[in-house]
Amino acid sequence: MSLVARYLERNGIPTIVMGAAKDIVEHAGVPRFLFSDFPLGNSCGRPHDAASQGFTLDLALKVLESAVGPRTTVQSPLRWNEDGDWKQDFSNVARMSPEEVAKKRAEFDKVKQTALAQRKQAGVA
Amino acid sequence: MTDTMNFAPDYDAPIEYMRRTRDYYLALGYDNPYRWAHYVDAPFQPMKKPLSESTLALITTAAPYQPDKGDQGPGALYNAAAKFYTVYSSDTAVDHDTRISHIGYDRLHTTAKDSNTWFPLPLMRKMAAEGRFRLAPRFHGAPTNRSQRVTLETDAPEILARCRQDQVDAALLVPT
Repeated sequence: MSLVARYLERNGIPTIVMGAAKDIVEHAGVPRFLFSDFPLGNSCGRPHDAASQGFTLDLALKVLESAVGPRTTVQSPLRWNEDGDWKQDFSNVARMSPEEVAKKRAEFDKVKQTALAQRKQAGVA
Repeated sequence: MTDTMNFAPDYDAPIEYMRRTRDYYLALGYDNPYRWAHYVDAPFQPMKKPLSESTLALITTAAPYQPDKGDQGPGALYNAAAKFYTVYSSDTAVDHDTRISHIGYDRLHTTAKDSNTWFPLPLMRKMAAEGRFRLAPRFHGAPTNRSQRVTLETDAPEILARCRQDQVDAALLVPT
């Protein structure tokens, strides 16, 4: 998605990215980025929380309007929860048993096969 | 008022997804790590007119729900079959059932039950009605098929062309 933002921007259309993976978006380098420090899947605010979603979109629009240069990142002040411990769970092998690791490997092999077959069918492999 | 010495724990910082993902797949036995897009520069285009007079387009990585493509949630396992491979566009005046089961979102800490957290079209419609901006007639779906070449050479130009057709002045992109 960062690649699309860069392409649009380079061709005359100002962009704002709303995202939750700070390192990945900033590694690519985008013009404007509203970062929410939330679990992936919640770029636009907390689930079932209209106030959180309204605040987040409003802030994104303000960043779109006011940024003065590229690589502008604003971090939303909203918190997912108080202790932030959720951040230690994502793809963290240290928190997984050997059985879980084996299961994940089997799942991933299956996903890779499906994706490859689809890409071939779509002509992009 | 002054800051105290009561610092937050070190782990309570933005997740280093690239490092975490690399380590994870190495532990699973895969030693051919994904290379994320990386540039040292970034383009910048100032807004040409006030936001209230600008037409804003939504660009999403969410997929339209496809009943024949297996479990797409909420709470579905990663479902590569639900991916899409060409740009799609749909009418912003009506509601859409979009899903993210084809994307590696955080399945432990979120349930993907409220699509407003990844697809803010209803809220954008409301804000446009209030005069904050003009909503473009279509939103666009960007494929996430892990081929950066296809994104650069096919999908991004296609999205630009469609934005131009709709005389879009700015774009809001929501990756998941």
